[in-house]
Amino acid sequence: MFLLFALITIIGALAMFQQKNVIVAGLCLVLTFFGVAGLFLMLSNPVAAALQIIVYSGAIMVLVLFTIMLLNSHEEEPALQPRPFQRWTGALLLAVFGAFALRLVAGSKALVDLNKAAQPVGGMNLARVGEEIFRNYLLGFEVIGLLLLAAMVGAVALTKKEL
Amino acid sequence: MGPWMSGSLQGYIFVALLLFIIGLATVLLRRTLLMQFMGVELMLNAANVALLAFARFRGGDVAGTVFYLFILGVAACEAAIGLALVIALFRHRKTTDADRADSLRQ
Repeated sequence: MFLLFALITIIGALAMFQQKNVIVAGLCLVLTFFGVAGLFLMLSNPVAAALQIIVYSGAIMVLVLFTIMLLNSHEEEPALQPRPFQRWTGALLLAVFGAFALRLVAGSKALVDLNKAAQPVGGMNLARVGEEIFRNYLLGFEVIGLLLLAAMVGAVALTKKEL
Repeated sequence: MGPWMSGSLQGYIFVALLLFIIGLATVLLRRTLLMQFMGVELMLNAANVALLAFARFRGGDVAGTVFYLFILGVAACEAAIGLALVIALFRHRKTTDADRADSLRQ
């Protein structure tokens, strides 16, 4: 099951990366988000899986697809200049970064120890999450509320023709 | 290769790393602003996968889910502001290409 969800996630992401049509790329990203939600289920965290589907594949992707259709720019515009040097340097640095990070993960002793010490855990539930938020992270909760309000006001101010 | 294929901690971190690399590649190699935005979303998701994997393998830590909620809120704010900026740019320049938006003057 883990392998299935991991494959869905990675294949969706790769399909999004190479897709020319922006709308199809957005739909591939929805596939990736569903795969990630499946991974959260495998981590015995149904709360996060449900939130992932509702907020990411629901709210955020609808916003993105709505913007794409509003702007009516489905295809990538032709490049002004080819810029081969920047592209190859970017790809090379990415490959180096990826190789080193993968080596770090593969050779990490701490990850093996943590994996060995793992015990079966009960599923996460909303009651535990709510208790933790309102007991230990109340300030963070308030700040997130304020941040969402500020983002809402900012988005309206940015898109308004003249203020 | 055995522990990587089943649901071990290394397997989850590996998936998170691949997601992050693909997201970074999208931001670096694609020119459309909306594609770059989706790459950023992918990188945020990679962070979420790693966070919740560590939370589960540390004995089902609740704080992991709480921080996942905070990341979710920040991602929603980022989506609203980022897309508003793309719309404002399109209104002024009639483009969503990052290369065509490299000048601050009209």
